Formats: sequence, C-alpha cells, structure tokens
Amino acid sequence: MENLIIDETVYTPRINLDIENGLIELVGKSYPENTFEFYKPMMDWVESYFSGNEQAKTIINFEIIYFNSSSSKLFFDFFDLIEEVTEKGKYVEINWIYDPDNDSALEAGEDFKEDFVKLNFKLVEK
Amino acid sequence: MEPFENKLIGEIEELQSKFNQTTQKLIKDVRRQDKIMSRSDKRQKQEYDELQKKFAEVEALQREIEETQKEVVFTMGAIGESRSKETGNHVKRVAQYSKILALYYGMNEKEAELLKQASPMHDIGKVAIPDSILNKPGRFNDEERKIMDTHAKLGFDMLNKSNRPLLKMATTVAYEHHEKWNGKGYPRGLKGEEIHIYGRITALADVFDALGSSRVYKKAWEDERIFKLFKEERGEHFDPKLIDIFFEHLDEFLEVRDSLKDL
Repeated sequence: MENLIIDETVYTPRINLDIENGLIELVGKSYPENTFEFYKPMMDWVESYFSGNEQAKTIINFEIIYFNSSSSKLFFDFFDLIEEVTEKGKYVEINWIYDPDNDSALEAGEDFKEDFVKLNFKLVEK
Repeated sequence: MEPFENKLIGEIEELQSKFNQTTQKLIKDVRRQDKIMSRSDKRQKQEYDELQKKFAEVEALQREIEETQKEVVFTMGAIGESRSKETGNHVKRVAQYSKILALYYGMNEKEAELLKQASPMHDIGKVAIPDSILNKPGRFNDEERKIMDTHAKLGFDMLNKSNRPLLKMATTVAYEHHEKWNGKGYPRGLKGEEIHIYGRITALADVFDALGSSRVYKKAWEDERIFKLFKEERGEHFDPKLIDIFFEHLDEFLEVRDSLKDL
C-alpha cells in the first residue's frame, strides 16, 4: 500500500494520505462536478489503510473552507466509516480546522461533531 | 418436552430484526439528508445575499465612474468657456440644443445624449490661447485672428489621445465646430458631409447661442436678425438639413433658452 497525494484544484482540496505518519489530510475547497467519483480513490485508500495497515494512532485533519452538499454527504459517509473502525478498536483523532472568520466552516464542523458523538472530534481554530 | 415452535417464527424474527436495522439506517439517512439540505439552503441564501450586495456595489461604482466622467467633461467645457468670457449656462444651452438637433437628425437616444455631454467641450482649446488675445475687447487683427483660430486644432490635440467614447466624440466636436458647410471654415476647410455630423450640429448650436447672448463687446442679437442670418447661411455656413430642423422645432430651442437664461 502506498501513500496517496492528490493536488489541490480550484474545485477540489489537496488530499494527503500518509501511511507512515498515520495522517489523513484534506485542505481547500470541495465542490467537484462528480463528488463520489472524485473521492473514490480516497475512500478506497482509507478502507485498505484501516484493514491492517494503520498506525497505532491516526490523525485526520479536515481544513475545508467551502464545500457543496454532495461533498457534505460524502463527508458524512467518510465519518461513518471512521466510526465503524473506531468501534473495532482503532484509535483515531479528528481535527476540524476552521478560520474564525469563516462562520459556515465552523457551523459545518459543529454539525459533524454533533452527529458523531462517539468520535474523537475536535474543532480547532486556525 | 419443549413445546413445538414453528420454525417460521424464528425466521420471521430474524427478518424483523434486519428490517429494524434497515429502517433505523433509513431514518438516520433521511435525517442526515434533511440536515445537509437545510444547511445548504441557508448557505445558498447567504451567498446570494452577498452576491446581490456585491452587484449593487459594482453598479454604484459604475454610476460613480460615469458621473465623474460627465462632471470632468462638463468642467473642462466650463473652463474653456470661462476663458472666452462665456457663461456656464452657455455650455448647458449648447449641450441641450445639440441633443435636440441630434435626435431630430435621427441619432438614437444614447448617441444624442453622448453628444449632449461632449458638445460643451468644443472650445476647450481656448485654454491654450494667451490672455492678451482672448481678453482683447475690440476686434482681432489678422495675426490675432490666426492665433485665435488655432483653438480648434489645439482642442483636437488635447483630446485626441483618449480612447473613451465620450472624449473621442469631444475630439471631433472640438476639431470641426468651426468648419462650414460651404468649405470656408477652419481649420481644415472641410465641405458638406466631410464635416462630421457632431461638428455640424455643435457649430449651429454654438452660433445660435453666441448670437443670442450679450457680451462685453456686443449686445445680444434680436431673434429676427438671428433667424434671417440662419436662413441666409442655410447651405453656406450650416448644414441645410439642420437649419430645417431648427426652424421646424424652433419652439423647443426657445424653450431651452428660456429655461437656462443667464442671470
């Protein structure tokens, strides 16, 4: 299994999936034309990472300043997956990083935190 | 002995449990979708409001630019006129007369309005004429007349560099407002329709107003005397078509003159 880096574009975030450091990182905007297709490589990677390739501790950094509703759906699916693996005993920390000037980014983070009470979900001011 | 239980019950119970799980998941999904939708609606509204605000700002800026341009042009015209002892109202009247002539000549509202704004700049070249000549009370000698007449070309040279539609129009007006239909005008001695319609219109508007206004060196002409001259100069100094328009709509010109009297 290899690390996966997807460069940032106008419509999509930079994605950094790093096995050695146990890091899953998304930075930028997310309103791709075909959201589920765009994120498929990431979702596949995350699944195989947690099937035995994971570090003792995994850090997930989300720094998404803007996203469309299908991205929002996808993030819910993503956190569902994370919730499943933590129920199986994997240790995961999630940082939702937001700019204090960006109200909607903070609100979105609060939404996810509220929905996934079992997750170690932190709102981190930039 | 255990009482006999129909094995179907076990199967149905299993189905029931699966069904419960599935409906639970469906309920969770629907709630989540609703949440995504309402969040997205809220955000769209904010974004739309923000866009509307920005559009309004852009429009206000656009208006500001246009108004500023008009003001600058009008002020330039007034500067030119003040150098030649005209009054501010002369500029305003020439502007109005030019627009009336333009509309009846067949220009659309936009072009006529632009000419209204450009025509006051016809004498801008006078800012470069020495005071000693410009303010001379009596008649000019030949040498002075020659210098005075350079104001048309001077105005052209001043405005010619601009690419703004309004200033380009003003360039034509400044350059050609002393040309005469019969080719005896200046600076180029253009003839008939060689003279741009902007120049022909401003020439008539300017002369009509100048003759009807009193100056330090002359009294205002009586209307009859102006009309007689205009009839004589039809096809000489002035475009015959414009003279016809002038007499056909004389009431409108006189109305403008009355509403913008010199104080």
